[in-house]
Amino acid sequence: MRSYWVCDGEKMDTGKRKEQLKVMYQRVVDPLGYKFSPDEEIVDFLLEQEVQLEKEKGNPFCPCQGLTGERDHDMKLVCPCIPFHREHYDAMKRCWCGLFVHKSVDDPYELQQISLKDLEESKNKKKKERP
Amino acid sequence: MKKVVMYTLSTCPWCMRAKKFFREHDIPFEYIDYDKADRETQQAIREDCLSHGEQMSFPFVKIGDDVVVGYNLNKYAQLLGL
Repeated sequence: MRSYWVCDGEKMDTGKRKEQLKVMYQRVVDPLGYKFSPDEEIVDFLLEQEVQLEKEKGNPFCPCQGLTGERDHDMKLVCPCIPFHREHYDAMKRCWCGLFVHKSVDDPYELQQISLKDLEESKNKKKKERP
Repeated sequence: MKKVVMYTLSTCPWCMRAKKFFREHDIPFEYIDYDKADRETQQAIREDCLSHGEQMSFPFVKIGDDVVVGYNLNKYAQLLGL
């Protein structure tokens, strides 16, 4: 059991951990231009999954991306993973799982997940179109 | 009808919503939860994702010969002719 799961010698409950993560994440994503999704239901669900992942795997990994067991790969998926995927997420105006959206976003359902391959193809197309 | 196969995560709400979409449209589909699969299956999924030039971002939806990475109802509907 990781030390941050023990508070004053007692096991921390999931709700308390979710609140802690929320406060920590807010400090990280705010200067990056992101905020929590206005969809409180999805935020609560994703945080719940992250707390479970933290219990099982030792870190609050993204609930929507696959772990490989390779540290270099997996540590880039520890929430908030925005700094490791900045260009990709900026293009979508959200992170992959949708826990965070750009501060300019009011309706998260106007946004689409764009695969990295589609993003690269779109960038290459724009480059070719340039005179 | 094109065959629909999905790689999903049990922790991913968009994977759940993608499954819900196919069920609501009576589209038969197969799925594997990557995080619940054995190591051999996980490796096969990883190789399949990479062979399509994609990361292991979920849901990873194969509709016939096409691949849609992410929750994109318009693309699902377009590829299925809905």
